[in-house]
Amino acid sequence: MGKAETRKVGYTMIHTENLSKTYRMGDVEVQALRDVNLEIKDGEFIAIKGPSGSGKSTLLNLIGCLDTPTSGAVFIDGIDTGKLSENGLAEIRREKIGFIFQQFNLVHTLNAIENVALPMFFAGVGREARIKRADELLAKVGLGDRMYHKPSELSGGQQQRVAIARALSNDPEIVIGDEPTGNVDTETGNAIMVLLEGLNREGRTIIVVTHDAEIAAHAGRTKRMRDGRVLD
Amino acid sequence: MRDKFLLAFRSIRERKARSILTVLGIAVGIAAIVSLMSVGYGMEEAITGELTGMADMISVMPGEIRAHSYVEKGSFTDRDVSDLQRIGGIKDISTMTYDAAEVEYRNKRAPIFVIGRDTKELESFYVVPVGLKEGRWLRENDYKACVIGDRVANDFFDEVIHVNDKLVINGDKFIVVGVFEKGDMLYSNDVDPHIFLTLRAAKEVLQTDEIKYIIVRVYEIDEAEGIAEEIEEVINDNHGLDDFAMAMTMGSMIEMMGDIFNIIRGVLVGIAAIALIVASIGIMNTMLMSVMERTHEIGVMKAIGAKSSDVLSLFLLESSMVSLVGGVAGCVVGVIVAKVLSFLGSTASGLEIAAIVKPEVLLAGIAVAVIVGVLSGFYPARKASKMSPVEAVRYG
Repeated sequence: MGKAETRKVGYTMIHTENLSKTYRMGDVEVQALRDVNLEIKDGEFIAIKGPSGSGKSTLLNLIGCLDTPTSGAVFIDGIDTGKLSENGLAEIRREKIGFIFQQFNLVHTLNAIENVALPMFFAGVGREARIKRADELLAKVGLGDRMYHKPSELSGGQQQRVAIARALSNDPEIVIGDEPTGNVDTETGNAIMVLLEGLNREGRTIIVVTHDAEIAAHAGRTKRMRDGRVLD
Repeated sequence: MRDKFLLAFRSIRERKARSILTVLGIAVGIAAIVSLMSVGYGMEEAITGELTGMADMISVMPGEIRAHSYVEKGSFTDRDVSDLQRIGGIKDISTMTYDAAEVEYRNKRAPIFVIGRDTKELESFYVVPVGLKEGRWLRENDYKACVIGDRVANDFFDEVIHVNDKLVINGDKFIVVGVFEKGDMLYSNDVDPHIFLTLRAAKEVLQTDEIKYIIVRVYEIDEAEGIAEEIEEVINDNHGLDDFAMAMTMGSMIEMMGDIFNIIRGVLVGIAAIALIVASIGIMNTMLMSVMERTHEIGVMKAIGAKSSDVLSLFLLESSMVSLVGGVAGCVVGVIVAKVLSFLGSTASGLEIAAIVKPEVLLAGIAVAVIVGVLSGFYPARKASKMSPVEAVRYG
C-alpha cells in the first residue's frame, strides 16, 4: 500500500553526509555526533544500537527533521533538508516521516481517534476522510474498541499503538522509532516490533533506535554507535 | 476552520479551571467598565433631566463664582428689578431675599436661614418637585405664616414641629402652615434646613429691602443666553461695576455640570481601566502559563508536521475565544451590576436614576476584551510556535 512500492529496489531513501551536531551546555561543548555518513535504502528495516549518550537519538532527530545539524547534510528521498525552510521541514515531517517516541507523546486532551487524525488535520485532509482513515489505522493496530478513549485511559502499550497509528496517518514512506519499546514491558515491546515488521513488509523504510539487542534483532540491518560515531 | 474551532474549544474545555479563571479575569474588567459607564450616563441623564424642566429660567446673583465658590458683592435694588422689566422676551421676574435669623421654638433657639420670595415662584420651584408632608403652601396674602423644611421640623429643635405650632423668628411669632417632605439629592440643601415666608413678611422680619437673588423666566429658551447677557449689562451699569451681577441660564448650568460629569466619567473610566489592566496582566499570565505548560504538546504537534503558523493560529484562536466569552460575560454582569447600583443609588439619593446601557459601550467592552486577549495571547503563542520541535518535545 505504501507509495514506496513504486520505486526501484536499491533506491537510497536517506543518506547523511559528514553529519555533525554540537550542543552547548553552559561553557562546555558536547559533540553529540561526529561526521556520520549513513545510507539507508528504500524499504530497509534498520536498527541503530548503542549505549545512552552515544548520539543515536541525536542522529534520529536529525534524520526526522526535528533538529538541524551543526554541519553536514541530511538527504531524504533526494531532498537536501538543509535547504528547506521551516515550513518545508514541517511538510517533510508531515508527509514523509512518521515519528514514534519512547514517551508516546500523545496529545492528552484528545482521544485516540483524534490523536491519530491530528497529522491529517495539519495536512488539510477533510474531516470525514480523516475520521475514516484514523478509524482504519486504529483497527489495524488492534485498538478498534478503544477509539474514543483518552490517552490517560489507555495502557502504555495501547498508547504506543495509538502513536504508531498516528505515525502512519499521512501514509509516510519512513517510520522512525526512538526507543519505541523503552516504556513498555517485553511482551508488549515484541508485539510493537512485530507491528513495525509488518509496516516494513508494506514497503516502508523503518529506522529504530534501541539499546536492546533483542529488539534490534527484529531489524534487517543493525548499526552500532559510540561517542557520536557510527561504528559498522 | 471549523476543525480549528473544535480543537481550540477542546483544549479550553479540557482545562476548565484555568479557562474559567481567565474568563473571570476578563469579565471583571469589562463588567467594571460597562457598569461604571452605564451608571455614569444614568446619573447624568437623571440630573440634566430634572434641570431641563427649568430650562426657561435665568438665575441672577449679585456676585461671582471665583475658584469654585460664590463671592457675594452686595445686593440688588428695586431699580435693578424695574430696569429688568424693560428687557424684551422676559415673561416673569421674581425676587428673593434671604438671611439667617434667630428662631425660637419652645424655649430652644437656633440660627436658621429664612427665605422670602414670590409664593407662586417658590411653589413651582420647590413645592412641586419636593412636596409637602403636612399642611398647605403659603399664599400671597398670608402674613405671619411659614412653611418649614424637613430638618427644621425634625432636627433643629428638641421636639418635632408640626402644622399649627408656633415659631418665633427674630422676635415675631409665626404659625407653621406647612412642612416639606425630605428633599432628594438635588433639593435637600435648598429646602430641608430653611424656613420659607412670603417676600413681604421676610423683608419685615429680616428688616431688609435687600434683594439677594432674582429669578427671570423667559418666553423663548433659545433667547435665554442673550437675555442673560443683557441682564448683566443693565445691572452692572446701575452699580458701576463690570462684574457685579452674574446671570446664569439653566443651559449654562447644565453645561457646567456637563464638565463635572466628564470629570466623574473620566475617574470612573480610570478605575475601570485599572481593573482592566489588572485583568490584562492576569490574562497574559494565564496565557504564558498555558503555553509553557503545553510546550511539550506544541513540540509534539510540530514533530508530527504542524507548521509554526498552525500552532500560532490555534493558540490565538483559543485566546480570542476565551476573551470573547469573557467580554460577553463581562457585559452581562456589567449591565446587572449597573442596574443594581442605580437602584441602590436611587434609594439612597431619592433621585430617579436609571442606568443607561449604551450599545457602543457594550461593543467597546467586547472589543477591548478580545483585543487584550489576543494581544496577550500573541507573545507566548509566537514564542511557542518558534520553538524547535526537539527542544519542545524534550520539555516536560
